[in-house]
Amino acid sequence: MEEMLEPNEMIVHLGPQHPMQPGPFRLNLRLKGETVMDAEVELGYIHKGIEKILENKTYLQGITIVDRICYLVALTNEECFVGCAEKLLGIEPPERAQYIRVILEELSRLQSHLLGLGEFGEFIGFVSMFMYTIKEREEVVGLIDMVTGARVTHSYLKFGGVREDLPVGFKEKALPILNNLKKVIEDYEGMFYSDRIYRERTIGVGVLTADVAKSFGVSGPALRATGVPFDIRKNEPYLVYKDLDFKVCTETAGDCFARVQVRLNEMRESIYILEQCLDQIPNGPLFPEGTPYGRRTPVMRVPAGEVFHRVEDPRGEMGMYMISDGTDKPYRVKVRGPYFPTLQALPPLIKGTTVADVAAISGSMDGCTSEADR
Amino acid sequence: MDARTIIESLTGKFPEAISEAGIESPIRIRAYVDKEKAKEVCQYLKDSLQFDHLCSVCGVDYPPRNELEAVYHIASYDHPVVLMLKARLPRNTPEIESIVPVYWNANWYERETYELFGIMFKNHPNLKPLVLPEDMLGEWPLRKDYEGFPNKTARNLV
Repeated sequence: MEEMLEPNEMIVHLGPQHPMQPGPFRLNLRLKGETVMDAEVELGYIHKGIEKILENKTYLQGITIVDRICYLVALTNEECFVGCAEKLLGIEPPERAQYIRVILEELSRLQSHLLGLGEFGEFIGFVSMFMYTIKEREEVVGLIDMVTGARVTHSYLKFGGVREDLPVGFKEKALPILNNLKKVIEDYEGMFYSDRIYRERTIGVGVLTADVAKSFGVSGPALRATGVPFDIRKNEPYLVYKDLDFKVCTETAGDCFARVQVRLNEMRESIYILEQCLDQIPNGPLFPEGTPYGRRTPVMRVPAGEVFHRVEDPRGEMGMYMISDGTDKPYRVKVRGPYFPTLQALPPLIKGTTVADVAAISGSMDGCTSEADR
Repeated sequence: MDARTIIESLTGKFPEAISEAGIESPIRIRAYVDKEKAKEVCQYLKDSLQFDHLCSVCGVDYPPRNELEAVYHIASYDHPVVLMLKARLPRNTPEIESIVPVYWNANWYERETYELFGIMFKNHPNLKPLVLPEDMLGEWPLRKDYEGFPNKTARNLV
């Protein structure tokens, strides 16, 4: 990058530690005045070698490792990992366990979107937004904590089912929180729509068109904001999503405002899904009956084979490619995180914008560098 | 577009390059591709079969067979079929044509596969380490015979 520098240009390193970043990565900006001429992302500051660690852990231990890919979306990471192994084992969790998983994953989506929203507000100088959303997020995290016993890194899913049943009084506790959440989402929307500064900071900023987003491999809210209704829950239903009624939220503008709007609408849909689940959840076992799953077993071997399983993460398409050689440890696990391609699309997207917009664009993608680095 | 149509179209177009094509489930298909033809096949997939979404590129090491495999997962924004395309590469000289001209987002995936497995992607625009520090280049940490840093035995492969 230095070689191309002209006399009136300079290079600014945003990061590896910077308040506008969702995690440590370095963004090298070549600036002419305040305009970004070129940008480059350097990763590796939080590389944990998760794929190698998984090869050296048993399947059961692996569940705790995939939690650490990104603590915010630990439950969907677990769902993807456990789903891979379940496909290889040829088992399916019973209906009650599937409903519990959907409930927790939608709660996880809610808290991830709430934190993403707050962070985005903070990045564009709307710091009180973070205070508002973190308060509501705490309630949702409390609900997850009530079931799994942990606020983050839950290790809750098990092969063929879930570790614990829903506690007594969960529905009674959850419904008022969800109702309150519906109200605050309206409030957030009202704040965003009425705030002139917010609108000027986001409308028309960082515009992705559908064709460009597709060629960048972007998924999740960033893609749906361009009008492409791509959602793994609909395209390739897993768990009981095919029995539930929900719509894929899309916008057409593809700018920062549209991405935030998609997240707000998705939170409404998540609440709707949760209400249906809490209403229809059947009674029954947590593990398939007549199988050893769920009991204490010292060794679990998975039949040889390979599988690619995808789930819908709050940020987009999470996929894992698992190869088993018939032993108790996976031969290879490839984690395809949704933020990896989105982060890759950041340099072309911020080219030609100003430094102030870099934070807005990067923030509206709701990233997690930990997941990109793995 | 269903799995059978895709497989038939693919094997009909590239009878020599595609081998062991099979359908695992209605939404998962797999095939081996000749490493010389990988880019051409990807171009055809993107242009004619709506495979416009590259999910991932990764490597897998098979020391007993003395082979590395480059695995492409290619999906579509329009239909739910995911194609697993694999290319066999010799373990001492793993080289394959880069597919960045076809799928723009292959760039980082190929850089990552290069630094972790030592697979050289020919004609890649910027083939340098992504997540590892520079001094770990040549260690190829995700290969099965990696013993931990610094692994001097692998130095001669750089």
